[in-house]
Amino acid sequence: MLVLPAVFYLGLFIAYPFLMSIYMSFTDAQAGNQKWTYVGPQNYSKVENYQILANDFVLATLPSAEQARQLAAARAQGKIVTEPAGRRFRAIAEVNGRRIPLLEMDKEDDAAFLGGTILQDLDWRIEKAAGEKFRVVAHASDAPVTFGPYADRAALKRELKEDILVPARTSVKTNGKGVVQDPNFTLAVKNTFKYTFGTEIIKLCIGIPCALILNRRFGGRRLLRGLLVIPWVIPIALSAQAWLWILDSTYSVINWCLVHWGILSPSKIINFRGDKDWAMLSVIAVNVWRGFPFTTIVILAGLTAIPDEILERARLDGANAFQRFVHVIAPMVRPILMVSLLFSLIFSFTDFNTIWIITKGGPYDQTQVLSTYAYQLGVNAGYLGKGAAISLFMFPIMAVMVFFMLQFLRREA
Amino acid sequence: MADVVLERVEKRFGDVRAVAGIDLTVRDQEFLILVGPSGCGKTTTLRMIAGLEEVTAGDIRIAGRFVTHLAPRDRDIAMVFQSYALYPHMTVYRNMSFSLKLRGMPKAELDHRVREVATILGLTEHLQRKPRQLSGGQRQRVAVGAALCRQAGVLLFDEPLSNLDAKLRVHMRTELKRLHQSVRSTMVYVTHDQVEAMTMGDRIVIMNGGTICQIGTPLEIYDTPASSFVAGFIGSPPMNFFDGEIAADPEVGVLLTGGLRLPLARPDLASSAGRKVVFGIRPEHISLAESGRAVSDVTWAALGKPAKVPATIEVIEPLGHRVILTARCSAGAFQMETEIHAGIRAGESADLWFDMNRAYLFDPKSEAAI
Repeated sequence: MLVLPAVFYLGLFIAYPFLMSIYMSFTDAQAGNQKWTYVGPQNYSKVENYQILANDFVLATLPSAEQARQLAAARAQGKIVTEPAGRRFRAIAEVNGRRIPLLEMDKEDDAAFLGGTILQDLDWRIEKAAGEKFRVVAHASDAPVTFGPYADRAALKRELKEDILVPARTSVKTNGKGVVQDPNFTLAVKNTFKYTFGTEIIKLCIGIPCALILNRRFGGRRLLRGLLVIPWVIPIALSAQAWLWILDSTYSVINWCLVHWGILSPSKIINFRGDKDWAMLSVIAVNVWRGFPFTTIVILAGLTAIPDEILERARLDGANAFQRFVHVIAPMVRPILMVSLLFSLIFSFTDFNTIWIITKGGPYDQTQVLSTYAYQLGVNAGYLGKGAAISLFMFPIMAVMVFFMLQFLRREA
Repeated sequence: MADVVLERVEKRFGDVRAVAGIDLTVRDQEFLILVGPSGCGKTTTLRMIAGLEEVTAGDIRIAGRFVTHLAPRDRDIAMVFQSYALYPHMTVYRNMSFSLKLRGMPKAELDHRVREVATILGLTEHLQRKPRQLSGGQRQRVAVGAALCRQAGVLLFDEPLSNLDAKLRVHMRTELKRLHQSVRSTMVYVTHDQVEAMTMGDRIVIMNGGTICQIGTPLEIYDTPASSFVAGFIGSPPMNFFDGEIAADPEVGVLLTGGLRLPLARPDLASSAGRKVVFGIRPEHISLAESGRAVSDVTWAALGKPAKVPATIEVIEPLGHRVILTARCSAGAFQMETEIHAGIRAGESADLWFDMNRAYLFDPKSEAAI
């Protein structure tokens, strides 16, 4: 009889939101948009065109450094000429008496413009090449030279082969409306993995020694065990306020201490939430602070479950403390450690609170993870369909992680 | 080979004296049993020999070497634990070879030794299994095997059979005894089971309250218990005790409470008439008929005649070939053992015969044998 309410509950609170977001990700759902129409998988992926990004054009390979330097020095006097080549137009750089065919385009204007970019805007560097030769390389330090857009893959393939006449580093950029084509989405995926694995590794590095220490018998052990769980039990919304102060750009207590002790000069204080590397480290630190008690307690439970007699036997067998850890303690704790890791991975992978409170994904999306980006795009920006699509991307990734960990546990058992 | 010498060894846990300064010598290749009720200090003594417990005072020597402050691994000992203490994540092979591997033994030699021990213990076909795939008896053998592989001078056993079922325990008892005869290393074996102690040991050490009550061969301890504690601890069912006093007139005897007077063949006690004593007799030394023989194969000797005790049979407990009777005489209730076909029924009155050659007297205060 209890099956019915259970099915009802599962249907209402678990299946419905899940199925709803799947449906939503296939519609043009937007804030203020009363009627949702089916639009196919375009929220996930819709390619509009392709571009070729090219950099590091090798203009010439010369036998001596002197010749290379002369060529590079003469570029101010050089010029681009265009001439027809079949149905297309070829841009040729004339520098220091050399004619260097650079590229071919359908339109003469395009050829002249891109040729001019390579000649005038890029840095010309001299690099050593194989066989005691020297190359002159045109390098774009900020943004690569863009060719295109091209409507389809066939055109892209042809252009990749025919456009650039000198050796260069090329890559293809896909433009479109789907989240897969969204560079911020790619960044969020990268950040999610950085954040998840960063926190998990650090949690283990702190949790294992903590558990080993707390497993020893000493006065105040109970008190310390109690204190340990505080970060885990107080609501993140409260504890994060303390962290906001610790990580404040002006009043950070860490900066104050570092300056006070003379480690840091006042002009070089760390902008924890404003610098891209420090921001990622900051959110990782807050998550670790919050999550490591759980890891510690789970490992501690595993340690307590090891019978004293086994450790005594290991001592009699001649194992020193390190060998006891490697050969006896670690293998016996491993199964429970994997379970804790699995839980912890899921929590970190889907974590929203920590990042939203500390950085809101900033600066410039450098701490944007999938969950915050889904919220940002789906709720704040109103693109519900895309937001749903992003959230659903987490599902297969987590399924794979869970699958491998369960597989591991089954092998252990 | 190795002998173990304990000199005034003492262990305190806070204010509690778990072991109160004992002297003990375990001879080379001896199978020595430490036996006593729980909390008597036998396990603590064993753990001090192993080095798992610090010694508060006194010295321990193994093979003439002072080991009191040495780490367990440097003591030339191996130990079998009550819970077997097998590494659950290792195969039987790795469990047995772990200590050798840590000592850096070459692989070929290690393999040879593990297989040799596995053959002795019948574990060859289980070498690649994990402990949880084995039965209790097999695990027990792996634990013994792991200790044997070390080829240590002294093997320590901490109640190794107490986790086995009764049938397997009897079997393993024989196995361990046979093993001792073939490997001939010194063995110290802790148990609380007096049957195990009697059947397995070359010598038995009976402990109580952190002190040693008596050391001797099983027969010595059975025949000449040093105190009423030892007498009551060894033997099943236990010895019967009655309070009484020495009577000397007209001939030497013991007068039990309730007015029962039994003759004693102890002319040396003629002068101590009136002395309070505890009278003890084992159930197997009480019989139903004067002409009958007691369990012991000792015939009625000339020294003392069997004494007649009128009693009522209260309870009959058949064990199979023997039967235990609980009877009551004027001095109190007691147990006796007889043949199952004796034809006695509960509630009947009978004249029972105490074999006075096998009677013991103890001092009620010091518990020492008189």
